[in-house]
Amino acid sequence: MKKEYIKYFLIFIPALILQLSLVPLISIDHFTPDLIVILLVYFTLSEGQLHGTVAGALLGFLFDLFSGNLLGISMFSKTIAAFTAGYFYNENKIESNMAVMNFSLIVFLSAFIDSFFNGIFTDNQSVGIVFMIFEKSLFPAIYTSVVGALIIISLPKRKLI
Amino acid sequence: MQKFFRKLLANFKEYITLVVLLLISLFLLSINNKPGVERFRAISFGTFAYITSTVHSITNIFKNDSETAKLRLENAELMLEVNKLRNYALQNEHLRKMLEMKDTLTYYLLAADVISKLTSKIEGNFIINVGSKHGVEVGMPVINEQGLVGIVIGVAASFSSVRTLENISLNAAVTNQRSGINGILSWNGQRHVIKNIPTTFDMQIGDRIETSEFSTILPPAIPVGIIVEKETEVSGLLSYIYVKPFADVKSVKNLFVVRFVKNIQIDTLETNLLKRIK
Repeated sequence: MKKEYIKYFLIFIPALILQLSLVPLISIDHFTPDLIVILLVYFTLSEGQLHGTVAGALLGFLFDLFSGNLLGISMFSKTIAAFTAGYFYNENKIESNMAVMNFSLIVFLSAFIDSFFNGIFTDNQSVGIVFMIFEKSLFPAIYTSVVGALIIISLPKRKLI
Repeated sequence: MQKFFRKLLANFKEYITLVVLLLISLFLLSINNKPGVERFRAISFGTFAYITSTVHSITNIFKNDSETAKLRLENAELMLEVNKLRNYALQNEHLRKMLEMKDTLTYYLLAADVISKLTSKIEGNFIINVGSKHGVEVGMPVINEQGLVGIVIGVAASFSSVRTLENISLNAAVTNQRSGINGILSWNGQRHVIKNIPTTFDMQIGDRIETSEFSTILPPAIPVGIIVEKETEVSGLLSYIYVKPFADVKSVKNLFVVRFVKNIQIDTLETNLLKRIK
């Protein structure tokens, strides 16, 4: 089990680098996919809600630290996102959860929650709740889930980590 | 009792973990402004920025930017110069003689590259490859050859984070170059707007907007944008002035940090004034 965690950790760090340096290059009108959420969902669906929640907090904290964001914002949102993804964890259904459709739907839900909670910590008085839901949360979540689907399609079954 | 707690912990460990982690993150959010935490953030973000900077330089390996960078610097200096000249033409000669402030105002530009963009629709932040060892300080404006792009909000040794114009947290005091009317420019997530300008005030479509002398964070006379739309509120008393920035924040890659911290200048002026009064 510990070996598995080291593997995950070794994947998470390059993912953080990619998220901060290369992913913005594929942004569509400000919307960028969130690789961290995709990996987090994969981790949570493989290891369970508790492990996923802790991983979400750790990754969120690292993301805040390395991106120059306020400490705690991504930690908060990614913890909740991973916790939500954890509801879909079932030891006997790991394979079906990793199916393209299911996986991308879970990624969509987690990314939506992540973006939404990330957004509520900013001054949203001038933005409005509809804008927050659609522009800040829905569109990035759709993009993230599409990228998540592409990643899961491009990988051999259960060979991501 | 112990058994009860053990059972409770076993049954609700996920929820307890969630609550504890959320409380930790909220606690972290509340201590962000403490000097120790700020220093820690600056060090870690600066260290990580080295890695992103390496990745950035690999992706740009085939570009020879030295000539372009030189031209961009020249362009940016010319842009500021042209704007200053526009001001001279518009200003009253008598007032200029009295103030003699803009005549002595010189901008020192420091070239920088964007190495990471953390942008969403409402929060735009960049990381640039110059930091405190190059003389960058928090509060310095960031421009490109077209106009204002943002402001430095965090500085590490070799890197800085920049809050761009497309960030709802950045509110800039601006002025209409032609009529001299002041307002606060902000980003509403979709457009740049100057709110609550009385309809009787002279703000016309096509007027140039620049940073105001009343700004506490930005130096005056940096071009910001142009008025593209004027919308009157339901009451008919106030207008929303929509501004299109000169700089295309989304696609910006090469920037210049204006080595000018407004507060220090104001402080110096105020100190001198107080000395004279005494």
